[in-house]
Amino acid sequence: MKWRRAVHTVAALAVALPGALSAQHEMHGMTMEGAWRMVPMDPNMPMLPGLENAVPVVGPFMPGMGMDPSMFPEARPSETVAMADGDTLDIAVSMVRRTIDGHEMVMFGYNGQYPGPLIQAPKDATIIVEVTNEIELPTTIHWHGVRLANRFDGVPGVTQLAIERGESFTYEVHVPDAGMYWYHPHVREDVQQDLGLFGNLLVTSPDPDYYGPAHREEVFVLDDMLMDAEGALPWGESAPTHALMGRFGNVMMVNGETDYRLSANAGEVIRFYLTNVANSRTFNVTFGGARVKIVASDVSRFEREQWVESVIIAPAERYVVDVRFDQPGEVAIANTIQAINHFRGEFYPHVDTLAVVSVDERPAEASVSQAFETLRDHDDVVADIDAFRPFFEREPDHELEATVRVRDLHPSIVLSMEADTLYVPPMEWNDAMPMMNWLSTGEQVTWILKDRRTGAENMAIDWRFGVGDVVKVRIFNTPDSFHPMNHPVHVHGQRFLVLSMDGVETENLVWKDTAIVPVGSTMDLLIEMSNPGEWMMHCHIAEHLHAGMMFSFTVEGDDP
Amino acid sequence: MYPFFSAMYPFFMIASVLGSPATPEHPVVASYCSSSMGPEYYAFELYTTKNIPGTGLAKGRAEVSVSSAVPFSVALGPDGSYVYDVQVSIERMRVPRQGRLVAWVTTPEIDRIERMGTLNDQLRASGRVSWNKFIVVVTLEPEDRTEDATWSGPIVFRGMSRSGMMHTMVGHGALQEENCAAYGYGN
Repeated sequence: MKWRRAVHTVAALAVALPGALSAQHEMHGMTMEGAWRMVPMDPNMPMLPGLENAVPVVGPFMPGMGMDPSMFPEARPSETVAMADGDTLDIAVSMVRRTIDGHEMVMFGYNGQYPGPLIQAPKDATIIVEVTNEIELPTTIHWHGVRLANRFDGVPGVTQLAIERGESFTYEVHVPDAGMYWYHPHVREDVQQDLGLFGNLLVTSPDPDYYGPAHREEVFVLDDMLMDAEGALPWGESAPTHALMGRFGNVMMVNGETDYRLSANAGEVIRFYLTNVANSRTFNVTFGGARVKIVASDVSRFEREQWVESVIIAPAERYVVDVRFDQPGEVAIANTIQAINHFRGEFYPHVDTLAVVSVDERPAEASVSQAFETLRDHDDVVADIDAFRPFFEREPDHELEATVRVRDLHPSIVLSMEADTLYVPPMEWNDAMPMMNWLSTGEQVTWILKDRRTGAENMAIDWRFGVGDVVKVRIFNTPDSFHPMNHPVHVHGQRFLVLSMDGVETENLVWKDTAIVPVGSTMDLLIEMSNPGEWMMHCHIAEHLHAGMMFSFTVEGDDP
Repeated sequence: MYPFFSAMYPFFMIASVLGSPATPEHPVVASYCSSSMGPEYYAFELYTTKNIPGTGLAKGRAEVSVSSAVPFSVALGPDGSYVYDVQVSIERMRVPRQGRLVAWVTTPEIDRIERMGTLNDQLRASGRVSWNKFIVVVTLEPEDRTEDATWSGPIVFRGMSRSGMMHTMVGHGALQEENCAAYGYGN
C-alpha cells in the first residue's frame, strides 16, 4: 500500500515539522543565529577536547524570542472542569507568560493554564473538546491512554491533519475506563509539551467504593525544565537536541510550581494522582518515610493494593497512591535517586524536593486513617484479567528490539561513549553527560524499534490485527548499541498487561498504556486489540520519539 | 602459544571432567543458573580463587533480577539504590567434605557485608542486594552460622557486579591515555 507508506512518511515529517518552528521565528522577524547557550554542567566535569565551542547542528528555538513577555497574559494554575456526557469544552492553545525559578518566560498553555484544565468526566461519557490553535506551531491533542475512536487520537498524518494556527479541531473523547489520563500534543512534544502543553483527564467510576477511603485527593503533575541563569535553554528548531538521553531538566516542578506546598493533619490519608509529563526523566518519588500504598496505574487499579517504599514513574505513566502522614512536621516529597557521575565512574545520592507537606498536630478523622491499614483486593480487576490468562503462556506474536544508530557525531563524543560502554545502567536517572547529550540531535541520532523477525524498523513495521485479537509482544532493549537507554513504551488506543520481565512473571497485574523497559531487559506485553484503527506505538521519551522511535499498527474492525 | 593450547585442549577437557567426579556423597552439580532468570547483561561470572581443592576448573555465576513483588520495572531502596534478587550458582566443583559454602555480598570497599545464604546441595544460593556496586563472595565456612556478620573461612569464588566495570574516565576519556591513578583515582 504505497499510499499508506506515503501517509506514514507524512506522519513522520509532520512530527518533525522542520518548517513549523522556523515560521515562528519568521513571525517575530528574529534571527536565531548565535542564540545557543551552553548547557549547565557540573563545574568539576572537564570539557571534552574539541567541544569547547560546539553547538548543536540544528538551530535554536525559543517561543516569543525577542518579544516582551508582558505582551502575553500571565498563566494561571489549573482549574477543574467537571463535564457530563455530551458536554463541550473549548480549549485554546495559546502563548502565555510564566515565571519559573525567577525567570519570566513566554510559554504555551491550554486555556492560559498550567497545567491545562483538569477535566473530570464520568466513566463511559463522551465529551466534546473544541481545540483552537493560537500558537504559531501546528499542534494536535493526543488523549493519552484513552481508548477512544481512532480519528480523535491526535496523531498528525495518521489520524488527522495537524491543527494549523487559527484553525480548530473537534475531538469526541469517549472515556471507557476509570482512572487518571492526560492530554498533550503529538507534534514535537519535546518542544510543545516541555513548554506547558499538558493536562489531566480524570475519569470517575460510578462505584463510590472504587478506591479505598482517603481524606482528600491531590493531583500531582511531575515535570522538569532545563534552565540556566538566563532562563530556559533553547530547544532544537528543526530537530530535537538531547537526542541520546532526552532533555533532562534541572528545575523540578509539581503542577508547574517549583515550591509546591500542602498541609495535612496528623494521620491524614491523601490520595495522590501522579502523572509524569517530563520529556525524559523517570522519577523515584519518595514521601519522607510516610507509608505509601499503591492502588492503580494507567488504565486500571492493580489486582490488589500493596505497600511500596517509593513510586517509580516513567514519562507518561500514571500511578494512584494513598499516603498517610502520621508524624507532625514537614515531610518532603522528593525525587530520590542514585545519580551517575560518568567521569568519576561513581554513583552518588541525589535528592530533589518536589513538594513539602506540613503536617499539623491536629488529628485527621480516625476511621479513614484506620481503614488505610487494610490492603484491598480488587476482585473485579482479577476477574477482568482472568479472561486473558489463557494467553499468558503463548509464544510471542511479535518481537521488537530497541536500539540506536548514530552518524556524524563529534569524534570526541564517539570516543567518550566507546570508553564508557563497559557498564550501562538499567535506568538513567540523571543526565550524566549533559554536553554530549545536548550536542546529539535528531539529525544525527536515530532511535529504532526493530521487528526482530522481519528486520523492519520504525514506520516500516506493518502489523495488522483484528478487533478482539490478544497479542503478545516481546520487547528486548539491547545493551549492545552505541548508547543503550531505558524506553517508556506507549501503545495508543489499546490497553496491555506487563506479563513478565526477563522471565520473571508479574505478581500484581494492572492494565497499562505505558511501561518502561530497562536496558538489557526483555519485557512481555499482552495487548488487547479492542479498538479499531491505525495506532501508534512509540517511546515516550520525547526526543527518542522525534528521533524516529515509533511505528503504527492497524486493528481492523468497525469504528464504534 | 596457539598450537600449544590447541594440542592441550583435549587434555583440558578430560581434566575438566576428572576434576569434578560425581559420587553419591559429593554430587557434582551441573545446574548452572539459566540465563532466563534475569537480564543476561547484568549477570556476572564468579571466579575461583583455587584456594581449596576441587575448584581448579570450577565456574560460578551470579544472576540478578528485579523482584516480581515490586509493581515497577526496577526495584529501588529508600536511597534510590537498585534492589536486585541475586542467584548464585557454582558448577564443576568437587564439594568439600568439611565445612559449608556460604555466599556473601559486600561493597567494593568491603565496608559493609551481608550474608546471602548457605549454598544448597545444588550449589545454589539466593538473596537480595541493595547496593549499586557490589561483590559476591563465596567462602568455605567451618560452621553454618547464620548470625556471623562476616566470613572467617577462605574465599572460594568472587565476582563483581557489572556496575563495577564503570570506571573513572579520568585519563581514559577521549584522546587521553594517562593512567587514572595519576589523577588520584584508583577505582
